[in-house]
Amino acid sequence: MAEELIRMEGVNKFYGRVQALENVNLTVNRSEIVGLLGDNGAGKSTLIKVLSGAVPSSSGSIYVRGEKVRIRDTTDAIALGIETIYQDSALVVQLSIARNLFLGREPLKGPRFLQRMDMRAMEDAAGDLLRRVGIGKAIPASTPISSLSGGERQAVAIARAMHFDSDLIILDEPTNNLGVAETQGVLRFVRNARDSGHSCIFIAHNIHHVFQVVDRIVVMRRGRIVADDIDPKTTTVAEVEDVITGE
Amino acid sequence: MRAVARPEFGPFVLLALELFGFWAINHDFLSEQNISNTLAFTVELGLIALAMTLLMTSGEFDLSVGSLFGFSPVLMWTLFNAGLVSLGVAFAMAMAVAALIGLVNGWFVTRLKIPSFLVTLGMLLVVRGTALFITDGFPQRTWSAEGQWLAEALVGDFRVLGFRIYMSLFWFILATAAMSYVLNQSKAGNWILASGGNPGAARARGVNVDGTKVSLFVLSSLMASLAGVISSIRTSAANPNSGTGYELEVIAMVVIGGTALTGGRGTIFGTVLGIFILRGMRNGIVMIGVPGLAYNIFIGAIILGMMALHSWLERRHRAGT
Repeated sequence: MAEELIRMEGVNKFYGRVQALENVNLTVNRSEIVGLLGDNGAGKSTLIKVLSGAVPSSSGSIYVRGEKVRIRDTTDAIALGIETIYQDSALVVQLSIARNLFLGREPLKGPRFLQRMDMRAMEDAAGDLLRRVGIGKAIPASTPISSLSGGERQAVAIARAMHFDSDLIILDEPTNNLGVAETQGVLRFVRNARDSGHSCIFIAHNIHHVFQVVDRIVVMRRGRIVADDIDPKTTTVAEVEDVITGE
Repeated sequence: MRAVARPEFGPFVLLALELFGFWAINHDFLSEQNISNTLAFTVELGLIALAMTLLMTSGEFDLSVGSLFGFSPVLMWTLFNAGLVSLGVAFAMAMAVAALIGLVNGWFVTRLKIPSFLVTLGMLLVVRGTALFITDGFPQRTWSAEGQWLAEALVGDFRVLGFRIYMSLFWFILATAAMSYVLNQSKAGNWILASGGNPGAARARGVNVDGTKVSLFVLSSLMASLAGVISSIRTSAANPNSGTGYELEVIAMVVIGGTALTGGRGTIFGTVLGIFILRGMRNGIVMIGVPGLAYNIFIGAIILGMMALHSWLERRHRAGT
Protein backbone atom coordinates (compact mmCIF):
# COMPACT_ATOMS: atom_id res chain seq x y z
CA MET A 1 0.00 0.00 0.00
CA ALA A 2 1.15 3.54 -0.72
CA GLU A 3 2.58 5.76 1.99
CA GLU A 4 -0.02 7.64 3.96
CA LEU A 5 0.17 11.46 4.04
CA ILE A 6 -2.98 12.70 5.74
CA ARG A 7 -5.50 10.83 7.85
CA MET A 8 -8.64 12.30 9.40
CA GLU A 9 -10.31 10.18 12.05
CA GLY A 10 -13.81 10.66 13.43
CA VAL A 11 -13.91 14.36 12.59
CA ASN A 12 -17.12 16.19 13.54
CA LYS A 13 -18.03 19.81 12.94
CA PHE A 14 -21.04 21.59 14.37
CA TYR A 15 -22.23 25.05 13.43
CA GLY A 16 -24.45 25.69 16.43
CA ARG A 17 -26.83 22.75 16.35
CA VAL A 18 -26.25 22.00 12.70
CA GLN A 19 -23.87 19.13 12.13
CA ALA A 20 -21.86 19.86 8.99
CA LEU A 21 -19.47 16.90 9.32
CA GLU A 22 -20.38 13.59 10.91
CA ASN A 23 -17.67 11.11 11.86
CA VAL A 24 -15.53 11.77 8.78
CA ASN A 25 -12.65 9.38 8.10
CA LEU A 26 -10.45 10.28 5.14
CA THR A 27 -7.00 9.21 4.07
CA VAL A 28 -4.85 10.73 1.33
CA ASN A 29 -1.68 8.95 0.24
CA ARG A 30 1.49 10.41 -1.19
CA SER A 31 1.37 11.28 -4.89
CA GLU A 32 -2.33 10.62 -5.00
CA ILE A 33 -5.05 12.78 -6.47
CA VAL A 34 -8.30 12.35 -4.60
CA GLY A 35 -11.49 13.72 -6.15
CA LEU A 36 -13.97 14.96 -3.55
CA LEU A 37 -17.53 14.95 -4.86
CA GLY A 38 -20.89 15.74 -3.37
CA ASP A 39 -23.95 17.86 -3.91
CA ASN A 40 -24.27 21.40 -2.56
CA GLY A 41 -24.31 21.30 1.23
CA ALA A 42 -22.81 17.82 1.40
CA GLY A 43 -19.95 19.07 3.56
CA LYS A 44 -17.09 19.26 1.04
CA SER A 45 -16.32 22.90 1.81
CA THR A 46 -16.43 22.35 5.56
CA LEU A 47 -14.12 19.37 5.23
CA ILE A 48 -11.47 21.32 3.35
CA LYS A 49 -11.90 24.33 5.65
CA VAL A 50 -11.05 22.07 8.59
CA LEU A 51 -8.01 20.71 6.76
CA SER A 52 -6.79 24.14 5.66
CA GLY A 53 -7.27 25.70 9.09
CA ALA A 54 -10.02 28.13 8.09
CA VAL A 55 -12.39 26.67 10.71
CA PRO A 56 -11.54 24.40 13.67
CA SER A 57 -13.12 20.95 13.91
CA SER A 58 -15.45 20.27 16.82
CA SER A 59 -13.92 16.87 17.57
CA GLY A 60 -11.83 14.16 15.98
CA SER A 61 -8.15 13.85 15.10
CA ILE A 62 -5.97 14.68 12.15
CA TYR A 63 -2.65 12.93 11.43
CA VAL A 64 -0.02 14.26 9.04
CA ARG A 65 2.73 11.79 8.11
CA GLY A 66 1.56 9.58 10.94
CA GLU A 67 1.81 12.26 13.62
CA LYS A 68 -1.20 13.72 15.35
CA VAL A 69 -1.45 17.46 14.69
CA ARG A 70 -3.59 20.42 15.68
CA ILE A 71 -4.59 22.80 12.90
CA ARG A 72 -5.76 26.02 14.51
CA ASP A 73 -5.35 28.45 11.62
CA THR A 74 -4.14 28.70 8.05
CA THR A 75 -0.57 29.35 9.18
CA ASP A 76 -0.52 25.99 10.97
CA ALA A 77 -1.83 24.25 7.86
CA ILE A 78 0.78 25.88 5.61
CA ALA A 79 3.54 24.94 8.05
CA LEU A 80 2.35 21.31 7.84
CA GLY A 81 2.54 21.46 4.05
CA ILE A 82 -1.17 21.81 3.34
CA GLU A 83 -1.89 24.46 0.71
CA THR A 84 -5.42 25.42 -0.26
CA ILE A 85 -6.21 27.15 -3.53
CA TYR A 86 -9.62 28.75 -3.56
CA GLN A 87 -11.38 29.71 -6.74
CA ASP A 88 -10.88 33.48 -6.55
CA SER A 89 -9.32 34.47 -3.31
CA ALA A 90 -5.90 32.88 -3.58
CA LEU A 91 -4.11 35.82 -5.19
CA VAL A 92 -3.85 39.57 -4.69
CA VAL A 93 -4.77 40.81 -8.15
CA GLN A 94 -3.05 44.19 -7.79
CA LEU A 95 0.34 42.60 -7.13
CA SER A 96 2.71 41.12 -9.67
CA ILE A 97 3.14 37.38 -10.24
CA ALA A 98 6.50 37.41 -8.46
CA ARG A 99 5.15 39.34 -5.46
CA ASN A 100 2.21 36.94 -5.18
CA LEU A 101 4.37 33.85 -5.41
CA PHE A 102 6.47 34.96 -2.47
CA LEU A 103 3.79 36.77 -0.46
CA GLY A 104 4.34 36.01 3.23
CA ARG A 105 7.68 34.33 2.49
CA GLU A 106 9.63 37.05 0.76
CA PRO A 107 13.34 36.39 0.24
CA LEU A 108 15.31 39.25 1.77
CA LYS A 109 18.72 40.77 1.23
CA GLY A 110 20.73 43.67 2.55
CA PRO A 111 21.77 44.68 6.07
CA ARG A 112 19.46 44.30 9.04
CA PHE A 113 16.81 47.04 9.51
CA LEU A 114 17.29 48.03 5.86
CA GLN A 115 16.32 44.70 4.43
CA ARG A 116 14.59 44.73 1.12
CA MET A 117 12.99 42.06 -1.00
CA ASP A 118 15.36 40.27 -3.30
CA MET A 119 13.42 41.17 -6.45
CA ARG A 120 15.97 39.57 -8.70
CA ALA A 121 15.72 36.20 -6.96
CA MET A 122 11.93 36.46 -6.85
CA GLU A 123 11.58 37.19 -10.55
CA ASP A 124 14.08 34.52 -11.55
CA ALA A 125 12.34 31.89 -9.47
CA ALA A 126 8.96 33.04 -10.75
CA GLY A 127 10.13 32.77 -14.35
CA ASP A 128 11.35 29.19 -13.78
CA LEU A 129 8.09 28.21 -12.12
CA LEU A 130 5.97 29.71 -14.86
CA ARG A 131 7.92 27.73 -17.42
CA ARG A 132 7.44 24.56 -15.39
CA VAL A 133 3.68 24.97 -15.36
CA GLY A 134 3.78 25.92 -19.02
CA ILE A 135 2.81 29.61 -19.15
CA GLY A 136 6.27 31.13 -19.14
CA LYS A 137 6.49 32.02 -22.78
CA ALA A 138 5.29 35.60 -23.00
CA ILE A 139 4.45 36.63 -19.48
CA PRO A 140 7.11 38.46 -17.43
CA ALA A 141 7.03 37.80 -13.68
CA SER A 142 6.39 41.50 -13.03
CA THR A 143 2.94 41.32 -14.66
CA PRO A 144 0.09 42.10 -12.25
CA ILE A 145 -2.32 39.20 -11.68
CA SER A 146 -5.19 41.42 -12.84
CA SER A 147 -3.99 41.10 -16.43
CA LEU A 148 -3.94 37.28 -16.39
CA SER A 149 -6.73 34.97 -17.52
CA GLY A 150 -8.52 32.67 -15.09
CA GLY A 151 -6.48 29.65 -16.13
CA GLU A 152 -3.21 31.52 -15.81
CA ARG A 153 -4.21 32.61 -12.31
CA GLN A 154 -4.88 29.01 -11.31
CA ALA A 155 -1.52 28.08 -12.77
CA VAL A 156 0.22 30.74 -10.67
CA ALA A 157 -1.54 29.52 -7.53
CA ILE A 158 -0.60 25.90 -8.27
CA ALA A 159 2.97 26.90 -9.11
CA ARG A 160 3.21 28.62 -5.75
CA ALA A 161 2.03 25.51 -3.90
CA MET A 162 4.56 23.41 -5.83
CA HIS A 163 7.42 25.81 -5.21
CA PHE A 164 6.97 25.80 -1.44
CA ASP A 165 6.90 22.01 -1.34
CA SER A 166 3.39 21.70 -0.08
CA ASP A 167 2.75 17.99 0.32
CA LEU A 168 -0.99 18.36 -0.05
CA ILE A 169 -2.55 20.83 -2.48
CA ILE A 170 -6.29 21.33 -2.03
CA LEU A 171 -7.98 22.70 -5.14
CA ASP A 172 -11.47 24.10 -4.59
CA GLU A 173 -13.37 24.26 -7.88
CA PRO A 174 -10.24 25.06 -9.90
CA THR A 175 -12.00 24.66 -13.23
CA ASN A 176 -15.02 26.89 -12.55
CA ASN A 177 -15.52 29.63 -15.11
CA LEU A 178 -12.62 28.39 -17.22
CA GLY A 179 -12.63 27.77 -20.95
CA VAL A 180 -11.94 24.37 -22.47
CA ALA A 181 -8.26 24.99 -23.21
CA GLU A 182 -7.67 26.57 -19.81
CA THR A 183 -9.37 23.66 -18.08
CA GLN A 184 -7.04 21.27 -19.89
CA GLY A 185 -4.15 23.43 -18.71
CA VAL A 186 -5.24 23.26 -15.08
CA LEU A 187 -5.74 19.49 -15.26
CA ARG A 188 -2.23 19.21 -16.71
CA PHE A 189 -0.80 21.26 -13.81
CA VAL A 190 -2.52 18.91 -11.39
CA ARG A 191 -0.98 15.86 -13.08
CA ASN A 192 2.44 17.59 -13.06
CA ALA A 193 2.06 18.25 -9.36
CA ARG A 194 1.34 14.56 -8.72
CA ASP A 195 4.24 13.45 -10.90
CA SER A 196 6.60 15.60 -8.86
CA GLY A 197 5.43 13.96 -5.62
CA HIS A 198 2.58 16.17 -4.40
CA SER A 199 -0.82 14.93 -3.30
CA CYS A 200 -4.02 16.71 -4.27
CA ILE A 201 -7.60 16.92 -3.13
CA PHE A 202 -9.60 18.02 -6.13
CA ILE A 203 -13.09 19.41 -5.64
CA ALA A 204 -15.28 20.13 -8.65
CA HIS A 205 -18.89 20.11 -9.63
CA ASN A 206 -17.99 18.90 -13.08
CA ILE A 207 -17.65 15.13 -12.68
CA HIS A 208 -16.05 14.79 -16.11
CA HIS A 209 -13.13 16.99 -15.07
CA VAL A 210 -12.70 14.93 -11.93
CA PHE A 211 -12.73 11.69 -13.93
CA GLN A 212 -9.97 12.93 -16.21
CA VAL A 213 -7.45 13.51 -13.50
CA VAL A 214 -8.05 11.73 -10.20
CA ASP A 215 -6.81 8.37 -8.89
CA ARG A 216 -9.64 7.84 -6.46
CA ILE A 217 -13.05 9.38 -5.83
CA VAL A 218 -14.54 10.17 -2.42
CA VAL A 219 -18.23 11.02 -2.23
CA MET A 220 -19.91 12.99 0.57
CA ARG A 221 -23.60 13.24 1.35
CA ARG A 222 -25.21 15.15 4.26
CA GLY A 223 -21.93 15.60 6.12
CA ARG A 224 -20.81 12.00 5.83
CA ILE A 225 -18.46 10.14 3.56
CA VAL A 226 -20.59 7.56 1.77
CA ALA A 227 -17.94 6.12 -0.55
CA ASP A 228 -14.20 6.52 -0.43
CA ASP A 229 -12.60 4.16 -2.90
CA ILE A 230 -14.35 4.61 -6.21
CA ASP A 231 -11.89 3.90 -9.00
CA PRO A 232 -12.57 6.22 -11.96
CA LYS A 233 -11.12 3.64 -14.36
CA THR A 234 -13.66 0.95 -13.52
CA THR A 235 -16.69 3.11 -12.74
CA THR A 236 -18.98 5.15 -14.99
CA VAL A 237 -20.00 8.75 -14.46
CA ALA A 238 -23.64 7.66 -14.13
CA GLU A 239 -22.80 5.28 -11.30
CA VAL A 240 -20.96 8.02 -9.41
CA GLU A 241 -23.88 10.39 -9.93
CA ASP A 242 -26.15 7.84 -8.32
CA VAL A 243 -23.86 7.66 -5.29
CA ILE A 244 -23.87 11.46 -5.01
CA THR A 245 -27.64 11.76 -5.08
CA GLY A 246 -28.11 8.62 -2.99
CA GLU A 247 -30.31 6.74 -5.41
CA MET B 1 3.41 54.84 -23.61
CA ARG B 2 4.55 53.18 -20.39
CA ALA B 3 5.02 56.56 -18.72
CA VAL B 4 1.56 57.69 -19.81
CA ALA B 5 -0.05 54.60 -18.33
CA ARG B 6 1.47 55.21 -14.90
CA PRO B 7 -0.99 56.58 -12.33
CA GLU B 8 1.41 59.43 -11.53
CA PHE B 9 1.33 60.76 -15.09
CA GLY B 10 -1.95 62.70 -14.78
CA PRO B 11 -0.99 64.49 -11.56
CA PHE B 12 2.46 65.22 -12.98
CA VAL B 13 1.02 66.99 -16.01
CA LEU B 14 -1.49 68.84 -13.85
CA LEU B 15 1.24 70.10 -11.51
CA ALA B 16 3.39 71.27 -14.42
CA LEU B 17 0.44 73.09 -16.00
CA GLU B 18 -0.53 74.63 -12.70
CA LEU B 19 2.95 75.92 -11.91
CA PHE B 20 3.35 77.29 -15.40
CA GLY B 21 -0.11 78.86 -15.45
CA PHE B 22 0.28 80.71 -12.15
CA TRP B 23 3.79 81.82 -13.07
CA ALA B 24 2.59 83.12 -16.45
CA ILE B 25 -0.07 85.27 -14.78
CA ASN B 26 2.08 86.43 -11.87
CA HIS B 27 5.85 85.92 -12.00
CA ASP B 28 6.05 86.41 -8.25
CA PHE B 29 4.48 82.97 -7.86
CA LEU B 30 7.90 81.41 -8.34
CA SER B 31 9.79 84.08 -6.40
CA GLU B 32 12.19 82.94 -3.69
CA GLN B 33 10.07 84.44 -0.98
CA ASN B 34 6.81 82.90 -2.14
CA ILE B 35 8.36 79.47 -2.61
CA SER B 36 9.92 79.65 0.85
CA ASN B 37 6.63 80.66 2.46
CA THR B 38 4.58 78.00 0.67
CA LEU B 39 7.11 75.26 1.29
CA ALA B 40 7.11 75.82 5.06
CA PHE B 41 3.52 74.73 5.55
CA THR B 42 3.37 72.35 2.58
CA VAL B 43 5.86 69.92 4.07
CA GLU B 44 3.99 69.88 7.38
CA LEU B 45 0.79 68.68 5.71
CA GLY B 46 2.97 66.51 3.50
CA LEU B 47 4.26 64.50 6.46
CA ILE B 48 0.67 63.52 7.27
CA ALA B 49 -0.11 62.71 3.63
CA LEU B 50 2.88 60.35 3.36
CA ALA B 51 1.72 58.23 6.27
CA MET B 52 -1.87 58.39 5.02
CA THR B 53 -0.70 56.99 1.67
CA LEU B 54 0.59 53.82 3.32
CA LEU B 55 -2.53 53.51 5.48
CA MET B 56 -4.86 53.95 2.50
CA THR B 57 -2.85 51.47 0.47
CA SER B 58 -3.57 48.95 3.21
CA GLY B 59 -7.28 49.65 2.75
CA GLU B 60 -8.00 51.94 5.72
CA PHE B 61 -7.98 55.65 6.34
CA ASP B 62 -7.66 57.97 9.29
CA LEU B 63 -9.92 60.97 9.89
CA SER B 64 -8.36 61.76 13.26
CA VAL B 65 -5.11 63.22 11.88
CA GLY B 66 -6.37 66.81 11.85
CA SER B 67 -7.36 66.64 15.51
CA LEU B 68 -4.00 65.10 16.47
CA PHE B 69 -2.30 67.93 14.58
CA GLY B 70 -3.98 70.27 17.06
CA PHE B 71 -3.93 68.07 20.17
CA SER B 72 -0.33 66.87 20.37
CA PRO B 73 1.35 70.31 20.37
CA VAL B 74 -1.19 71.49 22.91
CA LEU B 75 -0.33 68.55 25.15
CA MET B 76 3.39 69.08 24.70
CA TRP B 77 3.29 72.81 25.50
CA THR B 78 0.91 72.35 28.41
CA LEU B 79 3.31 69.87 30.01
CA PHE B 80 6.30 72.10 29.30
CA ASN B 81 4.71 75.37 30.39
CA ALA B 82 3.56 73.83 33.65
CA GLY B 83 7.26 73.38 34.39
CA LEU B 84 6.83 69.64 34.93
CA VAL B 85 9.27 68.39 32.31
CA SER B 86 11.80 69.58 29.76
CA LEU B 87 10.67 70.21 26.19
CA GLY B 88 12.32 67.01 24.95
CA VAL B 89 10.49 64.89 27.52
CA ALA B 90 7.21 66.70 26.83
CA PHE B 91 7.68 65.93 23.14
CA ALA B 92 8.34 62.27 23.86
CA MET B 93 5.25 62.09 26.05
CA ALA B 94 3.04 63.73 23.42
CA MET B 95 4.31 61.27 20.82
CA ALA B 96 3.69 58.34 23.16
CA VAL B 97 0.09 59.48 23.68
CA ALA B 98 -0.27 59.84 19.89
CA ALA B 99 1.03 56.30 19.38
CA LEU B 100 -1.49 55.06 21.93
CA ILE B 101 -4.31 56.81 20.05
CA GLY B 102 -3.16 55.16 16.82
CA LEU B 103 -3.09 51.82 18.62
CA VAL B 104 -6.67 52.31 19.81
CA ASN B 105 -7.77 53.23 16.27
CA GLY B 106 -6.12 50.11 14.93
CA TRP B 107 -7.55 47.93 17.67
CA PHE B 108 -11.11 49.08 16.98
CA VAL B 109 -10.69 48.53 13.25
CA THR B 110 -8.96 45.14 13.29
CA ARG B 111 -10.40 43.49 16.42
CA LEU B 112 -13.91 44.90 16.56
CA LYS B 113 -14.15 45.00 12.73
CA ILE B 114 -15.60 48.50 12.70
CA PRO B 115 -14.95 50.47 9.48
CA SER B 116 -12.08 52.91 9.88
CA PHE B 117 -14.35 55.76 8.74
CA LEU B 118 -16.49 55.41 11.88
CA VAL B 119 -13.66 54.60 14.29
CA THR B 120 -11.49 57.55 13.31
CA LEU B 121 -14.49 59.89 13.09
CA GLY B 122 -15.20 59.05 16.71
CA MET B 123 -11.54 59.47 17.60
CA LEU B 124 -11.48 62.85 15.84
CA LEU B 125 -14.16 64.11 18.21
CA VAL B 126 -12.56 62.58 21.31
CA VAL B 127 -9.13 64.04 20.54
CA ARG B 128 -10.38 67.46 19.49
CA GLY B 129 -12.65 67.60 22.49
CA THR B 130 -9.77 66.74 24.81
CA ALA B 131 -7.60 69.46 23.27
CA LEU B 132 -10.34 72.05 23.82
CA PHE B 133 -11.07 70.82 27.33
CA ILE B 134 -7.51 70.89 28.68
CA THR B 135 -6.89 74.38 27.27
CA ASP B 136 -10.34 75.89 27.89
CA GLY B 137 -10.14 76.68 24.19
CA PHE B 138 -7.18 79.06 24.57
CA PRO B 139 -3.89 78.79 22.65
CA GLN B 140 -0.83 77.71 24.61
CA ARG B 141 2.30 79.82 25.00
CA THR B 142 5.12 78.63 22.74
CA TRP B 143 7.55 81.54 22.59
CA SER B 144 9.85 79.86 25.08
CA ALA B 145 10.88 77.54 22.22
CA GLU B 146 13.71 79.93 21.42
CA GLY B 147 17.07 78.18 21.73
CA GLN B 148 15.64 74.74 22.55
CA TRP B 149 17.56 71.98 20.76
CA LEU B 150 14.31 70.26 19.78
CA ALA B 151 12.99 73.40 18.11
CA GLU B 152 16.26 73.79 16.19
CA ALA B 153 16.25 70.17 15.06
CA LEU B 154 12.65 70.25 13.88
CA VAL B 155 12.25 73.73 12.42
CA GLY B 156 15.56 75.54 12.65
CA ASP B 157 15.83 77.76 9.56
CA PHE B 158 18.67 78.96 7.38
CA ARG B 159 19.11 80.73 4.08
CA VAL B 160 20.26 79.10 0.86
CA LEU B 161 20.51 81.20 -2.32
CA GLY B 162 17.79 83.54 -1.13
CA PHE B 163 15.46 80.74 -0.04
CA ARG B 164 14.50 80.47 3.58
CA ILE B 165 14.67 76.74 4.33
CA TYR B 166 13.32 75.09 7.45
CA MET B 167 14.72 71.86 8.86
CA SER B 168 11.24 70.37 8.40
CA LEU B 169 11.93 70.20 4.65
CA PHE B 170 14.72 67.72 5.33
CA TRP B 171 12.49 65.65 7.58
CA PHE B 172 9.93 65.60 4.79
CA ILE B 173 12.50 64.50 2.20
CA LEU B 174 13.79 61.85 4.57
CA ALA B 175 10.26 60.59 5.26
CA THR B 176 9.47 60.51 1.53
CA ALA B 177 12.56 58.44 0.78
CA ALA B 178 11.95 56.09 3.71
CA MET B 179 8.29 55.47 2.91
CA SER B 180 8.90 55.06 -0.78
CA TYR B 181 11.54 52.46 0.06
CA VAL B 182 9.24 50.69 2.47
CA LEU B 183 6.31 50.58 0.06
CA ASN B 184 8.19 49.50 -3.05
CA GLN B 185 11.18 47.53 -1.86
CA SER B 186 10.51 46.03 1.51
CA LYS B 187 8.60 43.02 2.69
CA ALA B 188 6.44 45.34 4.78
CA GLY B 189 5.44 47.11 1.57
CA ASN B 190 4.38 43.84 -0.01
CA TRP B 191 2.28 43.15 3.06
CA ILE B 192 0.72 46.63 2.97
CA LEU B 193 -0.27 46.20 -0.68
CA ALA B 194 -1.60 42.69 -0.08
CA SER B 195 -3.57 43.74 3.01
CA GLY B 196 -5.36 46.36 0.95
CA GLY B 197 -5.69 44.32 -2.22
CA ASN B 198 -7.03 41.04 -0.89
CA PRO B 199 -6.86 40.63 2.88
CA GLY B 200 -8.28 37.11 2.74
CA ALA B 201 -5.61 35.85 0.38
CA ALA B 202 -2.91 37.68 2.32
CA ARG B 203 -4.04 36.09 5.58
CA ALA B 204 -4.09 32.67 3.96
CA ARG B 205 -0.42 33.17 3.08
CA GLY B 206 0.50 33.91 6.66
CA VAL B 207 0.62 37.70 6.26
CA ASN B 208 -0.15 39.51 9.51
CA VAL B 209 -2.83 41.77 8.05
CA ASP B 210 -4.08 43.11 11.37
CA GLY B 211 -0.59 43.83 12.66
CA THR B 212 0.26 45.66 9.44
CA LYS B 213 -2.82 47.86 9.69
CA VAL B 214 -2.35 48.63 13.39
CA SER B 215 1.26 49.73 12.79
CA LEU B 216 0.09 52.02 10.00
CA PHE B 217 -2.56 53.60 12.25
CA VAL B 218 0.20 54.26 14.80
CA LEU B 219 2.44 55.70 12.08
CA SER B 220 -0.38 57.95 10.89
CA SER B 221 -1.00 59.31 14.39
CA LEU B 222 2.72 59.86 14.98
CA MET B 223 3.24 61.74 11.72
CA ALA B 224 0.18 63.93 12.32
CA SER B 225 1.50 64.78 15.78
CA LEU B 226 5.00 65.47 14.50
CA ALA B 227 3.54 67.79 11.86
CA GLY B 228 1.48 69.56 14.50
CA VAL B 229 4.49 70.06 16.78
CA ILE B 230 6.60 71.40 13.90
CA SER B 231 3.84 73.77 12.90
CA SER B 232 3.33 75.02 16.46
CA ILE B 233 7.02 75.84 16.87
CA ARG B 234 7.26 77.54 13.48
CA THR B 235 4.17 79.71 13.95
CA SER B 236 4.68 80.17 17.70
CA ALA B 237 1.13 79.08 18.39
CA ALA B 238 -0.34 75.90 19.81
CA ASN B 239 -4.03 76.35 19.15
CA PRO B 240 -6.41 73.55 20.17
CA ASN B 241 -8.43 74.27 17.03
CA SER B 242 -5.60 74.05 14.54
CA GLY B 243 -5.72 71.24 12.02
CA THR B 244 -9.48 71.39 11.61
CA GLY B 245 -10.39 69.94 8.20
CA TYR B 246 -6.86 68.80 7.42
CA GLU B 247 -7.93 65.15 7.28
CA LEU B 248 -9.98 65.74 4.15
CA GLU B 249 -7.30 67.86 2.48
CA VAL B 250 -4.72 65.15 3.17
CA ILE B 251 -6.95 62.38 1.82
CA ALA B 252 -7.58 64.52 -1.26
CA MET B 253 -3.80 64.89 -1.77
CA VAL B 254 -3.36 61.13 -1.57
CA VAL B 255 -6.11 60.19 -4.01
CA ILE B 256 -5.19 62.93 -6.48
CA GLY B 257 -1.74 61.38 -6.58
CA GLY B 258 -3.18 58.05 -7.73
CA THR B 259 -3.50 55.94 -4.59
CA ALA B 260 -6.66 53.84 -4.66
CA LEU B 261 -9.27 54.80 -2.05
CA THR B 262 -10.17 51.11 -1.83
CA GLY B 263 -6.61 49.96 -1.09
CA GLY B 264 -4.17 47.68 -2.87
CA ARG B 265 -2.52 50.36 -4.93
CA GLY B 266 -0.44 53.25 -3.62
CA THR B 267 2.24 55.64 -4.77
CA ILE B 268 4.40 57.87 -2.60
CA PHE B 269 5.63 59.82 -5.62
CA GLY B 270 2.02 60.48 -6.63
CA THR B 271 1.23 61.72 -3.14
CA VAL B 272 4.14 64.16 -3.28
CA LEU B 273 2.68 65.48 -6.54
CA GLY B 274 -0.77 65.66 -4.93
CA ILE B 275 0.64 67.63 -2.00
CA PHE B 276 2.19 70.23 -4.28
CA ILE B 277 -0.86 70.39 -6.55
CA LEU B 278 -3.22 71.30 -3.71
CA ARG B 279 -0.88 73.60 -1.80
CA GLY B 280 0.31 75.27 -5.00
CA MET B 281 -3.31 75.84 -5.92
CA ARG B 282 -4.16 77.44 -2.60
CA ASN B 283 -1.20 79.78 -2.86
CA GLY B 284 -1.49 80.47 -6.58
CA ILE B 285 -5.16 81.39 -6.43
CA VAL B 286 -4.40 84.12 -3.95
CA MET B 287 -1.35 85.25 -5.95
CA ILE B 288 -3.33 85.76 -9.14
CA GLY B 289 -6.04 87.70 -7.36
CA VAL B 290 -8.88 85.19 -7.12
CA PRO B 291 -10.65 85.63 -3.77
CA GLY B 292 -9.29 83.12 -1.26
CA LEU B 293 -12.82 82.07 -0.43
CA ALA B 294 -13.12 80.60 -3.94
CA TYR B 295 -10.29 78.19 -3.17
CA ASN B 296 -12.55 75.25 -2.41
CA ILE B 297 -14.25 75.50 -5.79
CA PHE B 298 -10.93 74.81 -7.51
CA ILE B 299 -9.92 72.08 -5.09
CA GLY B 300 -13.24 70.30 -5.55
CA ALA B 301 -12.99 70.58 -9.33
CA ILE B 302 -9.44 69.16 -9.28
CA ILE B 303 -10.49 66.21 -7.12
CA LEU B 304 -13.43 65.40 -9.40
CA GLY B 305 -11.30 65.80 -12.51
CA MET B 306 -8.49 63.61 -11.24
CA MET B 307 -10.90 60.92 -10.05
CA ALA B 308 -12.47 60.88 -13.51
CA LEU B 309 -9.03 60.57 -15.08
CA HIS B 310 -7.94 57.76 -12.76
CA SER B 311 -11.12 55.78 -13.30
CA TRP B 312 -10.84 56.25 -17.06
CA LEU B 313 -7.25 54.99 -17.03
CA GLU B 314 -8.29 52.08 -14.85
CA ARG B 315 -11.11 51.07 -17.18
CA ARG B 316 -8.90 51.39 -20.23
CA HIS B 317 -6.27 49.28 -18.51
CA ARG B 318 -8.84 46.57 -17.76
CA ALA B 319 -10.32 46.67 -21.26
CA GLY B 320 -6.88 46.20 -22.80
CA THR B 321 -6.34 42.84 -21.10
